[in-house]
Amino acid sequence: MTRTLGCGAILRGTVVFASITSLIAGPALAAPPVDLSKWSPDYVRSIAGTEEFDTAAACGKVTPLDYKGRLTFWYQGVFEGDPDLLRQYYKDFFETFRKTYPNIQLEEQALTYNDLLDKFRTALLGNAAPMAVRLQILGGTEFASKGYLQPLKPEDVGWATEDFWPGAMKAVTWDGVTYGIPTNNETMAFIWNADIFKRAGLDPDKAPATWDDVVKYSKQIHDKLGIAGYGLVARKNAGNTPYRFMPQLWGYGGGVFDEADPSPTYGEVRLNSEASKRALQASYDMYVRDKSVPVSALTNQQADNQPLFLGGQLGMMISHPSDYNVMLDLQKKATGSDKDKAQTVIDNMRYGLIPTGPDGKRAVVFGGSNIHILKPEYVDGGKVDEPAAKALICFWTSPEWSLKMAYAGSNPGNLNGFKTKWMKERLDNIKFLDVTTSMLPYGIPFPALPESPEIMNIIIPDMLQNALTGAMSVDQAAEDAAKNVEDLKGGGGL
Amino acid sequence: MTSVTGQANAPRRPGPARAGTLRNVWQHRADYAYVLPAIVVMLIVIAYPIYYTVDLSFYTTPPSLQLRDKIFVGFDNYQAILTSEVFWRVTWNTLIWTFLSTVLSFALGFATALALHRDFIGRGILRAILIIPWVISAVAASYIWKWIYHSDFGVIGAILVGLGIADRPPNFIDSVGTVLPSLIVVNIWREFPFAMIMIMAGLQTVPDQLLSAAKVDGASAWQRFWHVTFPHLRNVSTVTVLLLAVANFNSFIIPWIMTGGGPSNASHIWITHIYELAFGRQRWGVASAYSVLLFLILMTIGYFYVRALSGDKKKDREA
Repeated sequence: MTRTLGCGAILRGTVVFASITSLIAGPALAAPPVDLSKWSPDYVRSIAGTEEFDTAAACGKVTPLDYKGRLTFWYQGVFEGDPDLLRQYYKDFFETFRKTYPNIQLEEQALTYNDLLDKFRTALLGNAAPMAVRLQILGGTEFASKGYLQPLKPEDVGWATEDFWPGAMKAVTWDGVTYGIPTNNETMAFIWNADIFKRAGLDPDKAPATWDDVVKYSKQIHDKLGIAGYGLVARKNAGNTPYRFMPQLWGYGGGVFDEADPSPTYGEVRLNSEASKRALQASYDMYVRDKSVPVSALTNQQADNQPLFLGGQLGMMISHPSDYNVMLDLQKKATGSDKDKAQTVIDNMRYGLIPTGPDGKRAVVFGGSNIHILKPEYVDGGKVDEPAAKALICFWTSPEWSLKMAYAGSNPGNLNGFKTKWMKERLDNIKFLDVTTSMLPYGIPFPALPESPEIMNIIIPDMLQNALTGAMSVDQAAEDAAKNVEDLKGGGGL
Repeated sequence: MTSVTGQANAPRRPGPARAGTLRNVWQHRADYAYVLPAIVVMLIVIAYPIYYTVDLSFYTTPPSLQLRDKIFVGFDNYQAILTSEVFWRVTWNTLIWTFLSTVLSFALGFATALALHRDFIGRGILRAILIIPWVISAVAASYIWKWIYHSDFGVIGAILVGLGIADRPPNFIDSVGTVLPSLIVVNIWREFPFAMIMIMAGLQTVPDQLLSAAKVDGASAWQRFWHVTFPHLRNVSTVTVLLLAVANFNSFIIPWIMTGGGPSNASHIWITHIYELAFGRQRWGVASAYSVLLFLILMTIGYFYVRALSGDKKKDREA
């Protein structure tokens, strides 16, 4: 399989990084363990395997290894779209934690990305929350602003704030106080099937350079081969939708607010700007005008695109590097001629940088998850075993486990994870990882506002669905969404 | 309630005198003591939530505030709902959903029950097969139907394309025009066995002698059905329709799992919309006001329905 991220792309990435660093950099920080200004696939390779870390020893300084206690813990776990490799690492993590802290009675519960927020909110209303929770990056600010979370910074569990991406730390900070620690941070990449490109008359080794090209390529693939070109996702209440649409919105120069600017203030709503409308128009063109994307995009999520891609029925999509492993897992389950067909797709799988907007702006969601400790009054039983919670958090956010738990699909929240031997092993084993790590500098965090979950999970998908179903024109859908954001910020609206 | 003291059947004294009422209560103290635990439970699990919902409907809860920090806004939530275009669209969806699901489930269940009431080989097996949609989990059924309807690689689409009937798979649940009818079909498929069982039970109560007598008198099959069988099924039919209507007004699983109320709110019905407002968007105040409105609407329908039912019984007694 060919790695298609050429030197040019890497060079461009490094150059663009210099101007984008401000998007993810925080105010005057002590030196981080890695040099963010040198970030490139080569740099990541050069630091991999250069340092040893002893997780048990480090966490033993935070909570003694013989500590006796009890911890309830909810986390966003693996789901149907994740590879088996990740399932194994989750299993290993809990086994190792129990072995390291044999006297901590851990009661963990895994929930899917789409269910976690609703269930957690409901539990909080009944003061029945777990003692600690690992939430998607979008959720931290909401719960911190409401006063549910205890202040918690990396230093509280033996790490340094500088060990984590500055952009990720912003997502766990509310009103100047830190309420959590990032476990992993991710940026996705653009995936395509070289064989489909070739058969459609496109350059098989070249990803579309711009979002306008994506629209063109998608149409060409559909017209020539009768299959879906681009894996659009516009389902409501599904994290997959904003993760795929926001890069397009930002690429065209739009945004919900000014979150893509170097110093966002989240004051002005920009969903109805001309740039935002152009981004929405691109989706409209693919879905309505060209009919070149899956019709089921309105009810689908990425897990539904994966079998389409593997079946050779989809030309392009945005996803994690883990999708390569997912394809391998799915291929193992295929039988007869389907197995060979799937192998052909895997052999032709290519990863590249996410396309730019018309002005050369490249952007991707700076995603991930954070881990938090709840205040006792909201916890089932009214007590929080802090040492037990800190032991688990130290474990998960350690260089070793923050890397292993993000092995196939993401990146370690703790930057020291990039220096571990497992990172070196990962770079050798996980195809296309360097492409997604190359996207990290282009990452833009979701607005760090309590309203963000509703904006990303409801208002953005609603805007897409209103335009794509013809319920509203593109202009009306954008104006309606902008009004909904204004109303939401004003505390009203339906 | 059955009297256990022998006092319940004592003649009631007319008149509103307070002393008389208290004496009456005292005389029936054993009866009241028996129902007290049930009343306490009802107050806790029904009356308090209703009170709390009504109270909450006068407050707003911005995303940055906890529920306990809610802000009083009077009738603003009610105004917001009643002036919202989405509310009226969702209301229309709910009425269509409830009416068509109830009427068609009942009609199909009624027809099936009549067909299965006759003796034929394999009747028991067929009856068991037809009950399957009702006994399987609604969640599992919703996922299965989602795949059957899938707009790109659904079973129906594949068959239609394979047979050359369609060029591309029909769009069932990704179109604002077809999503609600498609979900109603699933709901009817799920519910008609319930109506079938109820009517089959009702059919057991129709006296054979009456049917035989009508036959001897020369009544046709239709006349025997209309003048003998149907009147005996009136009460069970009324109860069945009521239960179906209440269940359909309160439907959640099928629309929520299959479409989440989308696309573009085209399959949102009251309950899914309230759920989204409360748990997806944390608009507890608006969701409560919405629930209060729904409660009032259902109570009004229920009142007229029960009144009509009581009127029918009164007529029966007079006849």
